[in-house]
Order: sequence, then C-alpha cells, then structure tokens
Amino acid sequence: MKQFSNKYMLLYALGLAAVVALVLTIVATSLKPRQDKNRDAETKQMILKTIGIEATRDNAAELYDKNIDSEISFIAEDGTEIPYYTFDNGIVISLKGNGLWGPIWGYMALDHNGTVLGAVFDHQGETPGLGAEIATDKFAKRFIGKQMDEHPIVLKKNADKNNTYEVDAISGSTMTCNGVTEMLEKAFNQYRTITFSESKTEDEQ
Amino acid sequence: MKKLDLIKLPFSKNNPITVQVLGICSCLAVTAQLKPAVVMAISVTVVVALANLIISLMRKSIPPRIRIIVQLVVVSALVILVNQVLTAFVYDVSKQLSVYVGLIITNCIVMGRLEAFAMSNKPLDSLLDGIGNGLGYGVILVILGFVRELFGRGTLWGYPIFEKLGLYNIGYENNGFVIMAPMALILVGIIIWIQRSHNKELQEKS
Repeated sequence: MKQFSNKYMLLYALGLAAVVALVLTIVATSLKPRQDKNRDAETKQMILKTIGIEATRDNAAELYDKNIDSEISFIAEDGTEIPYYTFDNGIVISLKGNGLWGPIWGYMALDHNGTVLGAVFDHQGETPGLGAEIATDKFAKRFIGKQMDEHPIVLKKNADKNNTYEVDAISGSTMTCNGVTEMLEKAFNQYRTITFSESKTEDEQ
Repeated sequence: MKKLDLIKLPFSKNNPITVQVLGICSCLAVTAQLKPAVVMAISVTVVVALANLIISLMRKSIPPRIRIIVQLVVVSALVILVNQVLTAFVYDVSKQLSVYVGLIITNCIVMGRLEAFAMSNKPLDSLLDGIGNGLGYGVILVILGFVRELFGRGTLWGYPIFEKLGLYNIGYENNGFVIMAPMALILVGIIIWIQRSHNKELQEKS
C-alpha cells in the first residue's frame, strides 16, 4: 500500500473541505430564492387554513392577498418582534414553541372576543403517529370554539368538553402536548396586550 | 465482472436490502406511501452513483488512514445537495422525507459500496455499480410503498383508487396496521422468502 506523508494528508483534508464548502455555498445561495418562495407559500397556506380557506401552494399568495388585510408586528417586552395578521373577523396569531424532539409552531385565528376560529400546528421532528399528530386536522379542530381571552388554553387528558379553556390532549404524546400548552401560554402572554386592548377599542368604535 | 452484471446483480442475488440486508431503517421509514418511496429511491440512487464515481476518481489520491472521513465528506456534500434541490423543487416531498434525506448519509448501502467497490474499481464500473445498487434498493422501496399505500390508505400516488372502485361501499376498510413500520419489516421478510425460494444459490446449506 502506498505511503502518504502527514503533510500530504493534512493538505488533502484541508483542500477537500475547501472545495466542498465552495460547491455547497454556490448551490445554497443560488437555490435560496426558490426555497424561500416555497416556505413563504407554506406559511401563507397555514395562515389561510386557520380562517377556513384551503389553499394550494400555487394559489396561496393570491388568496392570501385577498383575505388577509394586513401583516403587523409589535415589539414584545423581551425585544423580539412578534407578527400578527388581521382579517375581516379578527386576527391570526403566530405560535412558536418546543416539542419533544424539536421546534413546533402554528397559527391560530381569534375573533374579537378571543374565541378560536381555527388553528394549525406543525412540527419539525415529532414522533410519527404520536407527537406528529398535532399537525393533523383532527387535532387542530379540537381548538375551534375554545377561548383565549382570560387564560390560555390548556391541553389535558380527558378534558371537559364544556370547559372552553381545555382541549383534549393526544394520548401517548404528553411531552409534545405539554409543549403545545407552553407555546399557547407564551403566545397568550405576548399577545394579550394587543389582542384585547385593540379589539376592545375596535368594538367601541 | 461484466458491465451489465454490475447493474443487474443488485436486482437479484446481490440486492442491497433482501440479500445484503442493508438500508433497512430508511426502507421502513419512507415506504408508508408510494411518492416518498420513489423520491427516496431516486435520491439514494443519485447519491450512491455520484459518490461511487467521485470516490473512484479520487481513489488513488486518498490516503488510506483518512479514507473513511474523505468518503463521509463526499457523501455528506452530495446529500446536502440533494436536500437543497428537493427543498427548492419538490417542497412537499422534502417535508415528508424530512430527516430521512439527511439520514442517507448513514445509509449503510452508500458507505458499503464506497468501501467495497469504489475504492478498488475504475470510475465507470463504480458508477454502474452505484446505479445498480441504488435501483436495487429503490425497487424494494417502490414495492413496499405500493403495497402499503394501497392496502393502508386505499390510494396510489394520492389517487383514491379503492374509493373509485367502490370497495368501501361493500364493506372494505383500510388496514391501519399496514401503515406502521412493523408491517414494512414483515413485507421485506416475505420478499426475502419469495426470492430465496426461487434462487437456490441464496439458500444456506444445512
């Protein structure tokens, strides 16, 4: 077997790393606009879904412009910028949190009284069949008609159907559901200043 | 070895899944539906073929002591490329495959072919070997995806075929178990059984 010097090995490794890095940078930069467009369309699809409109990736942008009146953001106490979207009957808030294995996120449409009109959730890597169920319509539908006005919604097992602050959790995915509860609580605290103060002034007008 | 055999053998007596029993993990994970199975098959074929070609071209310059790392860098770079292309052009599928695209890096078939073949064979042979093994892996994936989607969801490529045939009206119900990973393993077992009963060479002498 041919012998290679240490110097050769070191240079070989460095050279390879440099070439690979260059190629990947070029590809990533040149494909970025397309990928961003896809992600953007997906966000719009999710937001539309909370207000009951099923959009495909192609018509998402068009339907979004038609149905969503404005995209506003405000600065939270901790300095992060928090977006929300207004439509005819209320606002759509953005949710961000952590599940069992990675980030989870979603959107929730609220009317001016804080009643949930619709919700969607998504996740990066929750367990298929368990935590990943939060991304299903079946789970999202449980939130419709619940309240986010005085307290946030809590997920629990055997939730009381008549209690508008409780939603039935998914059995076998307690950790992910706790993540959803935390995410809702965080969002509730972030948005409470705007949601209710603004909607109330609107009601008074 | 004849060039044609390099492509043909992985389909029969040297199939990566049913004979070498490699790449089982991803084959259980992505075959609940046909579409991700096909995309995964194509992605793995592209990665194995190109990785085999590149490593074979580099094989004389690779210092043996760092060869595994070099192979890993080449494979990772290719996988990231595939992932980028999928996110840009077939976003829904890339979301469905999510972590499994990244896991092509750890697919034993890729590293297995690099070590066993590309390090000691000419570029053209290596390319063919890569294509053969990728497709040999892919064909099993497609069979599994076909069976599991058809009987688990009653659809094919998302098209509700059983509903159109009116099977639900006469009392048929989807078999949820077929969607679960264990069923994929059972199906792989059945495929291995059928293959071995037809191919005497594969049977161990007792």
